[in-house]
Amino acid sequence: MSGYIFRRSLLAIPLLLVISFLTFVLNALSPMDPAELVLHAQGVPRITDELITATRTALGMDQPFLIRYLDWLFSCLQLDFGNSYVTGKPVWSMLGPAFLNTLELTILSVVAVIAASIGLGIVCALTEGRWLDKSIRGAAFVLTSMPSYLLAALLVWYFSVKLDWLPTTGKETVQSYILPVSVITISYAGHYFRIVRSAMLMNLNEDYVLFGRACGLPESRITIRLLRNSLQVAVSVFCMAIPIILGSTVVIENLFAWPGLGMLSVKSILSRDFPIIQAYVLVLAAAFVVVNTFSDIINALINPKLRENDL
Amino acid sequence: MFKKRNLRLTLVLVLAAIATLAGCSSNSGNGNSSTSNANEKKTASLAQELIYATAKDINDMNPHLYPGSMPAQGIVYESLVENTANGIKPLLAESWEISEDGTTYTFHLRKNVTFHDGAPFNAEAVKKNIDAVQNNAAMHAWIKLSSKLVETKVIDEYTVQLVLSEPYYPTLLELSMTRPYVFLSPNDFINGQTKDGVNGYNGTGPYRLTEHKTDQYATFEANEHYWNGVPRIPKIKAKVLPAGETTFLALKKGEVNFVFTDDRGTDSIDVEAMKTLAESGKFQIVRSAPMNTKMIVANSSRKDSPAAEKAVREAIWHSIDREAISKELFNGTESPAEALFSSNVNYANIDLKKRAYDLETAKKLLDEADWTLQPGDEIRKKNGHALIMGLYYDVNSSSQKSEAELLQNTLKKIGVQLELIGEESTSIANRRSTGDYDLLFNQTWGLAYDPQSTIASFTSEAAYYHTTSGIAKSDELYKKIDEVMASTDEATRKSLYKDILTIVHDEAVFIPITNGRVTIVAPTALKEISFKQTQFELPFEQMYFE
Repeated sequence: MSGYIFRRSLLAIPLLLVISFLTFVLNALSPMDPAELVLHAQGVPRITDELITATRTALGMDQPFLIRYLDWLFSCLQLDFGNSYVTGKPVWSMLGPAFLNTLELTILSVVAVIAASIGLGIVCALTEGRWLDKSIRGAAFVLTSMPSYLLAALLVWYFSVKLDWLPTTGKETVQSYILPVSVITISYAGHYFRIVRSAMLMNLNEDYVLFGRACGLPESRITIRLLRNSLQVAVSVFCMAIPIILGSTVVIENLFAWPGLGMLSVKSILSRDFPIIQAYVLVLAAAFVVVNTFSDIINALINPKLRENDL
Repeated sequence: MFKKRNLRLTLVLVLAAIATLAGCSSNSGNGNSSTSNANEKKTASLAQELIYATAKDINDMNPHLYPGSMPAQGIVYESLVENTANGIKPLLAESWEISEDGTTYTFHLRKNVTFHDGAPFNAEAVKKNIDAVQNNAAMHAWIKLSSKLVETKVIDEYTVQLVLSEPYYPTLLELSMTRPYVFLSPNDFINGQTKDGVNGYNGTGPYRLTEHKTDQYATFEANEHYWNGVPRIPKIKAKVLPAGETTFLALKKGEVNFVFTDDRGTDSIDVEAMKTLAESGKFQIVRSAPMNTKMIVANSSRKDSPAAEKAVREAIWHSIDREAISKELFNGTESPAEALFSSNVNYANIDLKKRAYDLETAKKLLDEADWTLQPGDEIRKKNGHALIMGLYYDVNSSSQKSEAELLQNTLKKIGVQLELIGEESTSIANRRSTGDYDLLFNQTWGLAYDPQSTIASFTSEAAYYHTTSGIAKSDELYKKIDEVMASTDEATRKSLYKDILTIVHDEAVFIPITNGRVTIVAPTALKEISFKQTQFELPFEQMYFE
């Protein structure tokens, strides 16, 4: 087993290297002179040739491409992603707090998504075809087909403005978490509960259920057994929800003025703050690779057949 | 066994959560009456506090660099003199003298002014600040004073002298700007400099920065020791709200109570939302005088471009329906512009030929210039060349795109083909400096900088050199610009500006579209809402809640 984990983890390394190289190349492909970008980003009203030359030297732009890439890569390994073009502060000092804020939002949302998906999945599977199952699926269909900014605006209008229960935006109090987490939960749980539901339904037709019932096992124990077997399918889906939500909070964060990665990335893209964009892409890609590796390992733990097939 | 118990616990939790949600929704019926009370309470407590929404964080508040938010810097830092509608007035300097030859400015500083950290504001502090700015002069190339200032001398504790290499009349104007010639406590300097960052943001202004949470909010509290009396609004908060939809809802709820046009000329909420708020009776809308001019700039120096011909530029001028743009696109928030500068700009209140929206005149101009339309053709031709031009617009500006499409459509009717190319603002700036364009959208610098900064940039390669260098009287134009900047006599200056503005107007190289204004949405209880001679700052210290 440890051999499998080791090999699976090794595979992540070349993947991350390729991603880092691509991010760097994309940046270098930009038709604009980085020195000019820095000066534009800092809001300098008039950019002179003298300033451009000075900035280029300060950025180390006079070095060849590969040397710059390797320099950047080694610095990244030490969590030094360079300095922001706009503020001049280290990228990590800006990306770090934003990352934590988004992570908070993501973890809370993932917990809520998992709880809601499992809860609704069970309810729907057990009441299959009846009005409860149909109405939950109908409501989920309507809610998930609604764009998240519309859903968010509706929730803010109703709960914050009309009822005055919750703050509209910001991250100042505990209450400010409720609306953004709800919007994310509704958007994702609406999809994921169907996975739990259909897995449960598939298992319901298995022989062990029939056998259990024949033996007179209480229905609650059968349900728990069912759930455990059904969840295997959902594990990898739920695992991938973490990086997906992490990377898709752009709309939610901008709407709710949540000081996280989504807001930072939009701001950086608009001001062409390349060091931040690079680090953002790299961090997200790393999150995908790491979580994907984890979910493979978890699946391998649950299902020995996967281990036997090696990679 | 352990796992089973866990699962049971999860189930119980899920059910509890569902029950709570159900409980909440059944309550919502009578939730309204109690909440309206809560709303009133909230508004009352806000009455002492002004909370404005801003799309961007206040950023680095170092007043000697450029990333910071100008409205925020404007209430924390002050300059020696102030630019008002009635000319230059004293601010941190009580009075000043200019030497006969126009090269020495002696300022008598206001006494008993302290920085927010308690450090005294005196001649020494002025010198340290100006020296720090000059030490990074390359960064401030846009402000001509930075290249003409030779020395700052401390005469006595409250007298300071600026020595220039040659007379430069906009000196006082440039000293009045939001940055860079404003004053930071010398205690905040790092190694006597400010170019590599500062230790704090202590100015002399009416408000001091007391809290800053990046990308969330910044709080400014009234400066209790302000030399011009403590401001009546005790607290101002800048709340970061990047999305217009939620800004509107936050205004309705009272979480923010003030919005204004930002430094890029965009409003955080649209005109419809403003109207709704004003109709509720809780908010008022206040609009400033014209602050700048949005225009199309023509390249007069590219010989193979039709835009290098005066008749073509005039025809374009006559093809823009400014009234319709102002009404349909801007709902009246911007007014039609007939010249490079609106008449409230210094020295710009002069008689210029009006070129109205008139397609017949446009056609006649093109015919006379031999751009003729052959039967069966859709595009005019001259010596085998078709009348086709490219117009570059900023992809991030929705109004520029609509204006461009409107113009494209109108010009098509008179046989001119316009190709629209949307690009990022940086690459448009790049085209402007290399001359790689026929036509592009641009705007004047704004009230505080006009006419001098915009006109000074006519000669600058990075700005409007390619726009102005191809016209017939370009040598005369540049000579007059040099003269006006060095002029020491008001009457001469007036007549020189008149000549300059007449030349570029006659040549139609700057084709005006609309005048931008600053719009404020504020609670009806807020009084004394006014504007400064710049779109980048607001005089918050004069406002108060009734």
